[in-house]
Amino acid sequence: MARIILDTLSKQYPNGVLAVDALDLTIADGEFFALLGPSGCGKTTLLRTVAGLENATGGRLLSDDRDVTHLPPGKRDIAMVFQDYALFPHMDVADNIAYPLRIRGEHRTQRRAKALETGTGLGLENLMDRRPGQLSGGQQQRVALARAMACQPSVFLFDEPLSNLDARLRLEARTFLKKLQKDLGVTTIFVTHDQAEALAMADRMAVMELGKIRQVGTPAEVFHRPANTFVANFIGSAPMNLLAGETADDGLRIGGFTVPFPHDSPRLPPGTPVTLGARPEYVDVVGTSTPGAMAGTVTIVEYLGATALVSVQIGDERVPDGADPVLGLTVQAMVAEGTEPQIGARIGVTHQPNRSLLYAADTGDLVSGTGSGTGSGTGSGIPGSTAATVSTTP
Amino acid sequence: MPRTAVATDAAGLGRARAGGFVAPALVLVGLFLVFPALWTIYLGLTDYRLTGLAAAAPKMVGLQNFRDALADRFFLNSLWLTLIYVAGSAIIGQTVLGFALAWMMQKVRPSVRGVVETVVLLAWLLPGSVVSFLWWAMLNRRDGTLNALLDTPGYNWLIQHPMLSIIVFNTWRGTAFSMMLFSAALQAVPPSQLESARMAGANGAQQFRDVVFPHIRGHVLTNTLLISLWTFNDFSPYLLTAGGPNHKSEILPAFIYNRAIGTGELGYGAAISLIMLVINLIIALLYLTLLRTRKVKT
Ligand SMILES: Nc1ncnc2c1ncn2[C@@H]1O[C@H](COP(=O)(O)OP(=O)(O)OP(=O)(O)O)[C@@H](O)[C@H]1O
Ligand SMILES: [Mg+2]
Repeated sequence: MARIILDTLSKQYPNGVLAVDALDLTIADGEFFALLGPSGCGKTTLLRTVAGLENATGGRLLSDDRDVTHLPPGKRDIAMVFQDYALFPHMDVADNIAYPLRIRGEHRTQRRAKALETGTGLGLENLMDRRPGQLSGGQQQRVALARAMACQPSVFLFDEPLSNLDARLRLEARTFLKKLQKDLGVTTIFVTHDQAEALAMADRMAVMELGKIRQVGTPAEVFHRPANTFVANFIGSAPMNLLAGETADDGLRIGGFTVPFPHDSPRLPPGTPVTLGARPEYVDVVGTSTPGAMAGTVTIVEYLGATALVSVQIGDERVPDGADPVLGLTVQAMVAEGTEPQIGARIGVTHQPNRSLLYAADTGDLVSGTGSGTGSGTGSGIPGSTAATVSTTP
Repeated sequence: MPRTAVATDAAGLGRARAGGFVAPALVLVGLFLVFPALWTIYLGLTDYRLTGLAAAAPKMVGLQNFRDALADRFFLNSLWLTLIYVAGSAIIGQTVLGFALAWMMQKVRPSVRGVVETVVLLAWLLPGSVVSFLWWAMLNRRDGTLNALLDTPGYNWLIQHPMLSIIVFNTWRGTAFSMMLFSAALQAVPPSQLESARMAGANGAQQFRDVVFPHIRGHVLTNTLLISLWTFNDFSPYLLTAGGPNHKSEILPAFIYNRAIGTGELGYGAAISLIMLVINLIIALLYLTLLRTRKVKT
């Protein structure tokens, strides 16, 4: 098993795209680490650079204390599971699983025995003679896993391994994969663009944007204390409300209303432009005249099953038909099913100061706030503790 | 009004009228393909000659022509040369060189690739007679390009190395086809499978054996079938060496021409043609069987 260290690692493609931009990151031994980010942010490139399929154009990559930056992929003691599984169609399951052993020159009977052993652990014992074309998607995925496991590497790399599975199977595979990783204790880097997957499976995760890491932390830290508005907007089943306003002596001025500061906000001179971040889950629907509430008109109600997502246009009047809503002045609130207001109703919304955050308007970085809800084990109110782990390499 | 034919086809023509439409094509095919083929079979059984008595009144000689052929050392020599020609220029030359080019072209810049492919394709598109003349100019004894390049004035390549000359000539001419076919095939190899093999530590040869070759095996077979048939029946080397010197490059098409037209033994030439046709069929059947067993396996 191994600890992976990225030291100002960069990858620039020949066409000039800087897909991985001087990243510093340490992935602990045995950790399940998720790389999350929007499409094109460089997740796959980073994974392939760690694998050795792409040459780093700058920086170093260490596996434990071994510099592997310029080693070929086969010499890094790393196994990778591809998004399309990349099984060899002309070999049966046993030969596929044992392929790395064959390259190592192990004897055929020994290979078959090891393949059977690994396959049995993954429930493949009855499929050893089949070709990949005769397997279901979930079975193919397990064969790909078995092939990665067969040579007992010290690091696993997964590039969106669940994206080819249907929704139901994906949930099963998620649990299965996490348990398997814990049992094997192999350091694992997992790429996904599905934040639910990252939150559910990872010990720690990194959120990337344009080749840079915007935040590193446990899923709870990233969920409750997004280090900047990009992460805040990206994480969460419904995006966080990000409301532009400015500070005053008695609270935040937002859209003509005065709302309380989030807890633990630093003293800022009045008139400082800021952004208030409040998750829809932590926004309450109240009467229009409640102190600290923003009043507005309900424009959209989305039913999500047990809850409903209510969009409220803040202000005295509804926007005229066809006009774009003023950016940042729509607030979304998550309410229990059955309690949602009617479209067009005038209501007030309040944020929960203990669960909302304050961001600097210009940089988008977290200024303060306690994301800690009830016992979620997060940053425990030390401001800046999350931000300190963020890569700030230029 | 009663209809004479019930239309069962999509166009509603009926069998009779539809037959009317294809009749001209059928007549042409019969006239220029079926009739000459049958005529060749007939000729192969006679002692028909271009000139002389047997030209006026050919006699049926049964299988005598075929018996003669099997005892004719020039025919056996020609068969052997054809084998060398096919193996050398089609299988080794065009297939191997074509594959090597396609393999290398994968990694070069698209601009370089475009230029190389165009040049190679041009060699393939030029008519055989033009290419033959180009190579004749290349290998010519007096002021030939090759002699100028190698500084060997007066060396007669076509006389000294006739087989090598026509093998190189045909390789040069036909490589483009294999290259294009293999290029397309290589592009269909999933990159993630190659990368999987690389992750397992496979070297270039192992990647080829375990990933690339299984994917292109069908293409290799088809390509080999096509170019061996084309090469087997190729007449254009005659334009370079005319089968000489002293039968040293007399591959089967040249042999047939020399006997049928050169010495006028039309019946004998027809018999050899038939033998060639049978060999063609055997090659084709062999490949098709191979292709089929491969399909059954996967
Ligand atoms: N072979 C390549 N040559 C040039 N640019 C590339 C290449 N592969 C990727 N890129 C560019 O690098 C950037 C990062 O791509 P990458 O595939 O790593 O994104 P990703 O985060 O994996 O996205 P997705 O979630 O869509 O898979 C993109 O801008 C992409 O266009
Ligand atoms: Mg990707």
